[in-house]
Amino acid sequence: MSLSRAVAIARRIIRQFTRDRRTLAFIIIVPLVVMTLVGLSFPEEAVLDYVAPALMATLAMFFVFILTGVSFLRERAQGTMERLMASPVSRLEIALGYLLGFFLFAAAQALIILLFTILVLGVHYQGALWQIFVFQLIITVGALNLGMFVSTYARNEFQVVQFIPLILAPQVFLCGVIWPVEQMPNYLQAISKVLPLTYAVDGLRGIMLDGSTLVGVGLDLGVLLAFAAAMTVLGAVALRRGAPA
Amino acid sequence: MPMMPGENPQHLAVWADNVSFAYGDVKALQGLKLQVPRGISFGLLGPNGAGKTTLIRILAGLLRPQNGSIQVLGESSARKVAQLIGYMPQVPALYAELSALENVDFFARLYGLSNRRQRAQRVEEALRFVDLWERRNAPTLKLSGGMKQRVSLACAIVHQPPLLVLDEPTVGLDPELRVTFWDHFHSMTREGITLIISSHTMDDAAHCDRLAFLRSGRVIAEGSPQELREATGNLEASLEDAFLYFVRQGVSGDVA
Ligand SMILES: Nc1ncnc2c1ncn2[C@@H]1O[C@H](COP(=O)(O)OP(=O)(O)O)[C@@H](O)[C@H]1O
Ligand SMILES: [Mg+2]
Repeated sequence: MSLSRAVAIARRIIRQFTRDRRTLAFIIIVPLVVMTLVGLSFPEEAVLDYVAPALMATLAMFFVFILTGVSFLRERAQGTMERLMASPVSRLEIALGYLLGFFLFAAAQALIILLFTILVLGVHYQGALWQIFVFQLIITVGALNLGMFVSTYARNEFQVVQFIPLILAPQVFLCGVIWPVEQMPNYLQAISKVLPLTYAVDGLRGIMLDGSTLVGVGLDLGVLLAFAAAMTVLGAVALRRGAPA
Repeated sequence: MPMMPGENPQHLAVWADNVSFAYGDVKALQGLKLQVPRGISFGLLGPNGAGKTTLIRILAGLLRPQNGSIQVLGESSARKVAQLIGYMPQVPALYAELSALENVDFFARLYGLSNRRQRAQRVEEALRFVDLWERRNAPTLKLSGGMKQRVSLACAIVHQPPLLVLDEPTVGLDPELRVTFWDHFHSMTREGITLIISSHTMDDAAHCDRLAFLRSGRVIAEGSPQELREATGNLEASLEDAFLYFVRQGVSGDVA
């Protein structure tokens, strides 16, 4: 395990993204557009205050998932992933390198969503701002690794996009984004218990609505961290699939 | 046949015995046998679909033989010696947004050249080797096909490995550059580096110290260009003639 190889991969990814002005613009503009629409469609302040944490969690997951899923897939289509696998780099180093590289952009998106929610939409919040941000970053890391992992099962961009309804839609409906988990039938509640977004929404609401601290939402945080770690390992293991059969 | 000292797998660059590989139903390699001595240029010659790329991907540690055994630099897992192999894929796998220099520098880092000055020097040497130093800052996106091919070669040689595995490195090069490349390749073998080069043109074949003719996933003949030509019994025979001769013979044989 060599950190310098992971860092080399991260540097390369950051450089690639910053060269590609159009993609960079999309990374920043798309969350702004979506959040504006959200703000315009929720005239009632109290409702928005309740929904905002769930939306922040969902959008952070959604954007990051697409960003990493598509980028990763492109690498495999171009053959650069196979070239990487022929070098002395280990799969864990590759997964870690991508995590570091994408994290910068994912964090930027998370920050944009957060600032827009609070400054422009005027959503009220109780807990500390930095704790909200840290919690959002943890959500982001999990989504990032999920995107990497899932993309190894896709053969083209179209298939990555098809994973969105498969993986994200059930979470939006079952994880308390739209209606509280407690109001759902028991078997759906059971399913929601194994979906990461449940813990993301619950934790972010805890901090923003109830004024909890990161320690206060420790259980949610722990589950999300475990999810992120599991996805990193699974992503690294699944990399083998990346090499064309 | 007398047992040569070079036949000990430990002393060979590559020792392959009865290697088979299939992509689903498509048999790419079928019981392939090969021995590549160290310090020479060894050509894998054969038409499209002969199995050259599959063999090279096995040598680079990207695929594992489904049958038979292989040793690369005396190791049965090519991944173990990944550091000692320079691999150039058939299609350049470069980062389009990055410059030629940044691409080569990236691979230098991956292969553990962590000292800044040493790395800068190696990267420059590699880019000068492929005659792209003047274009080093151009985004790879804007380079021609042949130039990308050269950047890809620079990435393969930057860590100065003792074994180079190059998949059709001369495709897309103009004749002048092809000659320059071969001059460089010859100077590398003089330094003791082993080159394994796949090609489908007999022009490359003539430059190699030894050749294996590949067809349908098998080695149909192996020897020096001279030996392969002489084996046809016709003193005027070209390497094309030799290839066709062995195809017609339909037997696998070692002419050496
Ligand atoms: N990824 C792949 N999936 C399925 N078949 C493949 C794949 N790669 C190569 N083949 C098949 O395997 C055979 C050998 O191919 P290859 O090793 O690329 O030969 P060469 O490099 O000599 O042209 C061919 O019949 C080819 O169609
Ligand atoms: Mg080929």
